[in-house]
Amino acid sequence: MNTQQISTKQISVKRYLPDSSAESYWQQYELPVDDSTSLLDALNHIKEQLDSTLSYRWSCRMAICGSCGVMVNGIPKLGCKTFLRDYEGEIRIEPLSHFPVQRDLVVDMEIFLEHLAAVKPYLIDDNPVKPYDPQAPETYQQSPEQLARYKQFANCINCGLCYSACPQFGLNPEFLGPAALTLAHRYNLDSRDHGKKQRMAELNRHEGVWSCTFVGFCSKVCPKHVDPAAAVNQGKVEAAKHTLIALFKG
Amino acid sequence: MDKSSSQRLPPLKRNWWLKHRFFKLYMLREATVLPLVFFTLCLLAGMVALLQGAESWQGWIAFMGSPIVLVLNLLALAASLFHAATFFVLFPRVMPLRIAGHSLPDQAIVAGQWAGVVAVALLFFWLFGRA
Repeated sequence: MNTQQISTKQISVKRYLPDSSAESYWQQYELPVDDSTSLLDALNHIKEQLDSTLSYRWSCRMAICGSCGVMVNGIPKLGCKTFLRDYEGEIRIEPLSHFPVQRDLVVDMEIFLEHLAAVKPYLIDDNPVKPYDPQAPETYQQSPEQLARYKQFANCINCGLCYSACPQFGLNPEFLGPAALTLAHRYNLDSRDHGKKQRMAELNRHEGVWSCTFVGFCSKVCPKHVDPAAAVNQGKVEAAKHTLIALFKG
Repeated sequence: MDKSSSQRLPPLKRNWWLKHRFFKLYMLREATVLPLVFFTLCLLAGMVALLQGAESWQGWIAFMGSPIVLVLNLLALAASLFHAATFFVLFPRVMPLRIAGHSLPDQAIVAGQWAGVVAVALLFFWLFGRA
C-alpha cells in the first residue's frame, strides 16, 4: 500500500464523554494524510497514535457492514467511503444526526432497529416449511425478471445514513423512516413473499409511508444507491391501492 | 434504551432547512404553492364576477391586468413550471412504467411529461390565441 505522506490535515471531532462532562465539545487533531486516506483511516490513526479515548464504530472498511456512519461537515457519510483528499479546509466530524449520542461518535440506533423489526423484513410464507427431502427438493424459484423488481432495494446495509438525512425522522422519531420502509417494499415486491398484508398495517398509517414528504435527501446520501425515497413513495402508491381495495371489500 | 441517552437527542430546530442547499431547494419546491394559491383565488374571483354580471366581469378583467397582479401571476406560472420540473423527475421513481416486461427509461417518462405540457400549451394557444 502506498503510504507516502503528502501532507497533514486537521479534523475536528465532536467529543462527548458522559463520564467526565455532560456537555459535548470540539477537539482538533492534526494527522498525516495521503491520497488514499479515508476518514476511517484517519479515525484509526487518532485512536492508535494520538488519543485512545476516542470512541467510534467500525468493522469492514469496505462499505458493506454499515457501522462507520458519521456526519462529515453536516452530511451523513460512511467513514470508510469518505476520502480526506476530497475536502479542502476544515473537516468537522459529528455523530449521526437524529439519534441519541452515547459517547463521541457512537449513537444509539435502537429506534431504527425497532422500526426495522416492525415491518417484518424477511420472507413470509403462509405454507409451513416442510422438512428437506433430498429426493424432491423444493426451492424458492425466481426468474431474473422477478429479481430485478426488488434487487436495487435489497442493497441496503442498514447503516442509518438515510435516517440522519431525513428531516421528517428528525422531527418525529416514530416515523418508520427510509430504510425500514424500503425493506418493507423490497419484501412486498419479492415474488416468493406472501407477507404484504401483514406489512401494510404498519406501512399504511401516519408514521408509515405517509410521514414522508419526498425531501429525497435519503437517496442522495445512500452509500449503496438504494434510492429509499423512491421505495417509500412507491409504498404510498401501494398503500393507497390497499386502502381503496379495503374500501370496496368493506 | 435508557432515559439518559434519549435525553441527548437534540431537537430539530425550526431553521433545519437552512443548513443545506438541498433542503432549501426542497422548501422552495414546497413554497411554490403560495403564488399558486393566489392564482387560484384570482380564478375563483373571476367565476364569482362572471356570475354577478358584465360590470363586475369588466372590473375583474381590469384587476387581472393591473401590474402587481400580472407580476404575481407570472410568479405563479414560474412556480408551477418549477414544481412541474421537480415533479416530472420524481414521477418515474415513484411509478416506474413497464411495457411488455421492460421498464421504460426515466428520461423517456420525463420527456413524455414535458411533451404533454407542450401539447396542452399548443392547444391553449390554438383555442384562445386568436381571440
